[in-house]
Amino acid sequence: MGDLLKIALAVSKMNQQILHQGNAEQPENFPYVTELVKLKIQNVQLNTFVVGRQEGIKIGLITEGKFEWSIDGQAYTLFPGDASITFPWQEIGGTKGNFDIGALTWITIKPQVFEPSGMLSLGHWSSISVLEQRVIGTILTRSKTPILSRFGSGAEILNNLEYEILHQEIGYRTRINHLLDELLINIVRHLNKADNFRRDFPQIFLKLEQTLRENLAYPWTVEEMAGLVGLGTTAFAEKVKGFTGFSPLNYLINLRIGEAIKLMAQPHLSLTDIALDTGFYSSQHFSTTFKKITGYTPRAYRKKQ
Amino acid sequence: MDCILTIDINTSAVRIHAFDMEGKVLGMQKGAYPTFHPQADYSEQDPEQVFITTLFVLKNFLNEVVHPQKYKVRAMCFCAAMHSVLPVDKNGRPLGNAIIWADNRGIKEANRLTNSPDCSNIYETSGTPIHPMSPLVKITWMRHQDPERFAQTYKFISLKEYIVFQLTGEYLIDHSIASSTGLFDIHQLVWHPKALDFAGIDADRLSTPVSIFFDDVPLKKEYCKSFRLSSATKVILGSSDGCSATLGSGDITAKKATVTLASSGAVRIASKEILADDQRRFFNYLLAEGYYISGGPTNNVGVVFDWYTQLLGNFNTGQEFEQVKAELLRDAAQVPAGAKGLLFLPYLLGERAPIWNANARGVYFGLNITHEQKHLLRATVEGILFEVYSIGKLLAAHRPFNSISLTGSYANVPLFTQILTDIFGLPIHVNPQVDSVALGTALIGLTGMNYFSNLDESSASVQFTETHLPNLQNHALYMRYFEVFERLSSKLEPDFELITALQ
Repeated sequence: MGDLLKIALAVSKMNQQILHQGNAEQPENFPYVTELVKLKIQNVQLNTFVVGRQEGIKIGLITEGKFEWSIDGQAYTLFPGDASITFPWQEIGGTKGNFDIGALTWITIKPQVFEPSGMLSLGHWSSISVLEQRVIGTILTRSKTPILSRFGSGAEILNNLEYEILHQEIGYRTRINHLLDELLINIVRHLNKADNFRRDFPQIFLKLEQTLRENLAYPWTVEEMAGLVGLGTTAFAEKVKGFTGFSPLNYLINLRIGEAIKLMAQPHLSLTDIALDTGFYSSQHFSTTFKKITGYTPRAYRKKQ
Repeated sequence: MDCILTIDINTSAVRIHAFDMEGKVLGMQKGAYPTFHPQADYSEQDPEQVFITTLFVLKNFLNEVVHPQKYKVRAMCFCAAMHSVLPVDKNGRPLGNAIIWADNRGIKEANRLTNSPDCSNIYETSGTPIHPMSPLVKITWMRHQDPERFAQTYKFISLKEYIVFQLTGEYLIDHSIASSTGLFDIHQLVWHPKALDFAGIDADRLSTPVSIFFDDVPLKKEYCKSFRLSSATKVILGSSDGCSATLGSGDITAKKATVTLASSGAVRIASKEILADDQRRFFNYLLAEGYYISGGPTNNVGVVFDWYTQLLGNFNTGQEFEQVKAELLRDAAQVPAGAKGLLFLPYLLGERAPIWNANARGVYFGLNITHEQKHLLRATVEGILFEVYSIGKLLAAHRPFNSISLTGSYANVPLFTQILTDIFGLPIHVNPQVDSVALGTALIGLTGMNYFSNLDESSASVQFTETHLPNLQNHALYMRYFEVFERLSSKLEPDFELITALQ
């Protein structure tokens, strides 16, 4: 257990969930995958799945039956093909504290850093760029639902992972790392699609705007903003320009200056604080941008009020 | 070359156009801002964001289009959506967000006013229907429901007044925007004491009413410098969106109606006299001194078609919203007029004119086993337009018209244009290349600067590029449907009440 990667091909009878532990790898090879478990539950056992916190990014994919789970106090029903995704700070368990009859696969990936703010660093094994990892972290933590319904591609990836781990053919480590990346990428794409399905761009944009407003101090990049709405950067920039009249970064500047003007009405805040709070990297940068748009320096603007 | 800028501060964006002195468009840029709904009935906008967006777009537009072409800006003329209320303190700082036209928080206060003995007098004097959209009702709401903010408020202004205040340092309201506040006497051109009493304020808590041609206040010198504009650049106050759209839709002396189809819609008629309706179903807004724009607004146009698209559009092919919508419009055009006996009442957002019932709700009527999805689709479009017709028909009873100018984003949708012309049985003129609000605003500015001798003449300069003619067979058929539509709308009134209570 612990850091040990285990493949458990299991049939649950009586009290034992895991009857067979498969191949075990040396921990140093895959310390970032803390479990990959296949469970088959044939009768209900009490207290087999009590609500509690788990480590890492935990993904559970249902293959048979119907499961009633509680995630962060909210009840969900999962059917075959559905998956749950939970984070270290979230609580998950059966609504009645046990597993329902059926079958599922668990995998837990333990990133080097993962915080509720969205900060995500997977580790050296991942070939996803540092920037994109951050976008993935943001999308995961901002997702409103922990359920990926009809997550078909998940089953295939988990099967391939199992095959690679059990057979250890040439190149299996690379394959496993790639499959883990692919799993995460598919998850965020799935979340984005589900989120934006049947929505027009104005609605999608309004949601993004809300997110930007709540975190104006954050150094947003176009890649991140595009990632949040599930579009490529070029398409995203085009759509934002078409809808708002601004490039994404100019729209953001717009929001920042608007917020800065509001904060300037509070006499106890210094202009440097306001600059940093609204996402300008220096008071100089703030002052130049502010003057360019409003015609006043921040100081003069404040005085005129 | 000389030019005039029009600055239209509407619900979703600020649009800035440059026109030459004959009213030809030289260029345009826009900047969008959001509407917030902190509670179900609330619709608000952030005044700072609206202002910054205006500055940003103006600056970009000047630097990218106007200055490089060496256009000389002679004036800027303003236009805005009606009915917004922004409380500001004595330093001109906003006390919270602006409450915009779509906000319904004042429903109780509106009912109180409807039942008060002053109701008829206030409606007839102010020209504004008694409805939560009215600033009179919103200020009354604030007085009772948010007394602290009410007490702190130095002035209640609109978003347009806020922008003008920022740029000039003066609190000014044009007669047109004033006529949409419910507080203004459209006959005497002064604030109406009875309405002020009802709202619980004195006239000095409102801006000074001035003509839409007013240009006697300079742009602050900081802005002249920052925009690289001459200090002789005139700031002309201008009018409101609905009034400007009517002016920009052709000859206001002709017997015609102007229909706007966008996310919401309206039917309007320009005249030199007020249109009196004892059931208080119409607005009478001032376009300018002595010019009235009378008509009625509907809540349920584009927003209903978007709802249908979201609900029943085919998104499985991975297409985007706009493509799915375009496909639906193509499909609807294939269904014969009348949708096989299916009728739709489009009241998803309650309704304003002509039934003025916030509790009205949507209905599909006449469903039988042979109806397919495409019939629902066709009925939805037809239902939206029957509602527009119901406003037009009432207006025509007071003041007949024999053609229609169509404006708004749906003026470019052939299916909507054709069904509308068939239902009305009248020719429809469209000018799809032109933003009629911006053009109307430019015409006001140009009239103010004496390029036209009056508004009649300026409106007559508008040319149309397309005319759609009715199919009279379809018109006859639609009239039979409309009879049922009208009966249902009034018959269901008590049931709307009952069903809303369950929602």
